[in-house]
Amino acid sequence: MFPNLRRDVIFPVCGSVILFVLFVGVGLAYQSQFSGAAERLVTFALIDAILVLGIQIYVGNTGILSFGHIGFGAIAGYAFALFAITPAEKLKRIPDAPFGLLDVNVSPWLAVVVAVAVTLVVAFVVGIGLARSGAESGAVSATVITLALLFVTHELARNWPDLTGGDRAGLSFRIGGTLDSRVPVYLALLVSIVLARLYAQSRGGRVAVAAREDDLAARAMGVNPLIQQMVALLISVVVVSVGASLRVYENGSILPRDMFFNLTLVTLVMLIVGGRRSVTGALVGVAVITTGRELARRLGQDGFEVFGIGLDGAPLDWIFRENLKSVFMGVSMLGFMIWRPSGLLDDWELDKWLHSRFGRRSEVPPESLPVIEPDDSSVLVAEGVDVAFGGFQALDDVGIRASRNEVVGVIGPNGAGKTTLLNVITGLVESSSGSVALGGVDLSSAQSFRIARSGLVRTFQNLRLFAALTVRENVEVSALVAASLRRHRPPPDVDGLIAAAGLWEHRDRRARELDYGTSRRLELARAAATAPAFLLLDEPTSGMSDSESLLMVEQVRQMAGLVGAGVVVIDHDLNFIIGICDRIYCLDCGQVIAEGTPEEIQADPVVQAAYIGSAAGD
Amino acid sequence: MTELLQNLIDGLGRGSIYALLALGVAVIFGVMHLLNFAHGELITVSGYASFWALGAGWSWYLTVPLIVAVSVLTSLIIERVAFSRVRGADDFTLLLTSFGVHFVVSAIFLLYVSASVKTYPRPAWVTNTFAVDSLRIEVFDTVVIVVTIATLVATTLLLQRTTFGLSLRAAAADFDTARLMGVRSNSVIRGAFALSGALAGIASVFWLMRSGSTSPTAGIDPMLKGVLAALIGGLGSLRGAVLGGFTLGLAEVILRSRLPDSVASLTEGVVFLLIALLFIFRPQGLISVPHAERV
Repeated sequence: MFPNLRRDVIFPVCGSVILFVLFVGVGLAYQSQFSGAAERLVTFALIDAILVLGIQIYVGNTGILSFGHIGFGAIAGYAFALFAITPAEKLKRIPDAPFGLLDVNVSPWLAVVVAVAVTLVVAFVVGIGLARSGAESGAVSATVITLALLFVTHELARNWPDLTGGDRAGLSFRIGGTLDSRVPVYLALLVSIVLARLYAQSRGGRVAVAAREDDLAARAMGVNPLIQQMVALLISVVVVSVGASLRVYENGSILPRDMFFNLTLVTLVMLIVGGRRSVTGALVGVAVITTGRELARRLGQDGFEVFGIGLDGAPLDWIFRENLKSVFMGVSMLGFMIWRPSGLLDDWELDKWLHSRFGRRSEVPPESLPVIEPDDSSVLVAEGVDVAFGGFQALDDVGIRASRNEVVGVIGPNGAGKTTLLNVITGLVESSSGSVALGGVDLSSAQSFRIARSGLVRTFQNLRLFAALTVRENVEVSALVAASLRRHRPPPDVDGLIAAAGLWEHRDRRARELDYGTSRRLELARAAATAPAFLLLDEPTSGMSDSESLLMVEQVRQMAGLVGAGVVVIDHDLNFIIGICDRIYCLDCGQVIAEGTPEEIQADPVVQAAYIGSAAGD
Repeated sequence: MTELLQNLIDGLGRGSIYALLALGVAVIFGVMHLLNFAHGELITVSGYASFWALGAGWSWYLTVPLIVAVSVLTSLIIERVAFSRVRGADDFTLLLTSFGVHFVVSAIFLLYVSASVKTYPRPAWVTNTFAVDSLRIEVFDTVVIVVTIATLVATTLLLQRTTFGLSLRAAAADFDTARLMGVRSNSVIRGAFALSGALAGIASVFWLMRSGSTSPTAGIDPMLKGVLAALIGGLGSLRGAVLGGFTLGLAEVILRSRLPDSVASLTEGVVFLLIALLFIFRPQGLISVPHAERV
């Protein structure tokens, strides 16, 4: 579950404890400075931090913007209240409570458990809906579904007075006072920080982040992002439910408007200001926004002293008014989106920084890896593939065969259908007829991640790396997928592959910072790290110079050898294909026009005609 | 049968306003891939402008062009101040930017203009009705439907017959390619915001006539309706947006008249639930826009 015990468990847990101590310390220091109402402010900041961490687990790792988490909070809050308040109190507020809730009388701590359970059930159903809608990073439809959840829970709460006490202040619940001590809040906060960090470092979290960076590339590696999105949603909802219950307990009441747009806005602004991709950032955001709102509120009320300078409102009365804090919130959100959309900290984490400073790590590139002899049992066969785009026949009865101890090339001029063929084999384009099979297992209509899992892994013509991840993380995440899917084989050696691909010195750089040739090598290494049966390469030399292409020949051979994979490579660069392939298919206008060894292909007049122009064939 | 016909007419009246709002949302989505959650603020701002004008003694009929002009101007200012700075950003940033604009505008109105609801007079004919057989038809609905149809025809002509319209449609189909073909991105985007503002301005006139009041948060409702209608229709499809507007209007009217009284107040919630279900089972909306990703 965790690839590296020190880096992924020990450091994150220690880092979380430090974060917790710092955050609580700042709160206590503030509280001792300003007595009275400050205590309540700090308590709410601690609870808000739990809510924001919950939202971060989902939004940060999946990249899906959710307005619905406070809607989950409302469900948890009401469930908590309905179970926690005494029957006598309920008789006064909601005498017609349904489901026999009137007589329920449990301790607040059991009520939290009930709240979490009820909300999890709702979250599971919503999660299935999100998955069906094709949720992926930045998806509008998913965001609208979460918005609908927020509005529907709000409407229900307002219009079901028998259950919720309705819309009016006079019908609010009183549970029986505020929290007696902060211990439960501290405990929940600490657990939330640890949970958020551990999830991000776990295999599931890493896979979710990969899908956040590029959904299609993650699928092509064998990841089903929908599963990880569901896991992230459920974990985040547990944290949000606990936070919401504590909020209701501390407030002593719950009204529909308590868990609606306003709190959604506040928590989202906290998250994006601090940096939505970072747990540390989420906490920084809570601290910054809580301070800013408090400052705006005081300035709006009557002005006050800052560092001995009296800010009396009078001359600036036109600007410091009652609702200054809502302007502050809106401007924070807008300003950060315009000038710093990744927030103050982006994806910086305290424990990652500590690990890079103090963690033990090898500086020497590993020894070269042994070449794995491919077992020749599984043969890739595509037969009779037809694809039409509208009236255009992109592929017409195309078939290829490849075994694992050879490099098979597909050449053809632009528009011949090479990439379409690869897309059919990897499940991105559906063929109207024909079949694709690996080792006798039919993969014709399988989803792309299932095809990748069965051993066909591809690269992309227009690079699709996980841009925000480092080189090492890019390779590691696909090795993790391989290790979990093909347990009977030894997991690929991440460092060995990185070194073999000539990426050792770049291993800590982010993929988006790499130059073009290096990016291509990384994509090859990442595909190889899934330990596939076949590597399917889509124009690996596109945009490269002749000398770089020659280097690529070696690189592809070496990578395939290290993981014992067969290779199917598509290119229109004849020199590259002839240099690397044992056998070549030539495509033109969607049909296979020739097949043979490089020498045979070079000598074939039909191929020459297709390449040089029809004149040569005449 | 009569009831259904009555629903149909009421729904068309309501849906017309939604269609105008949705079309404005879809136009902007087409050129910027931005789902504009700030669209309703055009109604807030132009509503306050007309309130001041009425207070200064303007005749109601003069405020109509004022509302449209203010709406266009506001739309252009919002583009200049906020959206022009996030062009080409990822979807997450775009979504939150438009939400940010929405919050800033409503907060500024709340803070510096007025927190109270402003009501103002409407011409008497707004509430008149006339009867056709057993149908009761509002004069207002008739005007709305007629003006909306005229606006839609004019917009269609603008999009089909002018160079600007061609550029806009090309940009909506494939922004990058349109730019390479010589479409000027700045003028197309500004033109789209102006068009969207004009459509919202006309919708704003009707919206204010119907509600007879405005408040700092008055933009939320029309914003949600416009965005949801555009989503129902399939984002980016202009025809879909109009269809989505009418669908939403009809759905609301029918739900309101058919739901049992005890849950009638839940109409909004039910509409939201239906839209969530639509997204779950048909995420591309009613009219799907081909959106192929090249690999």
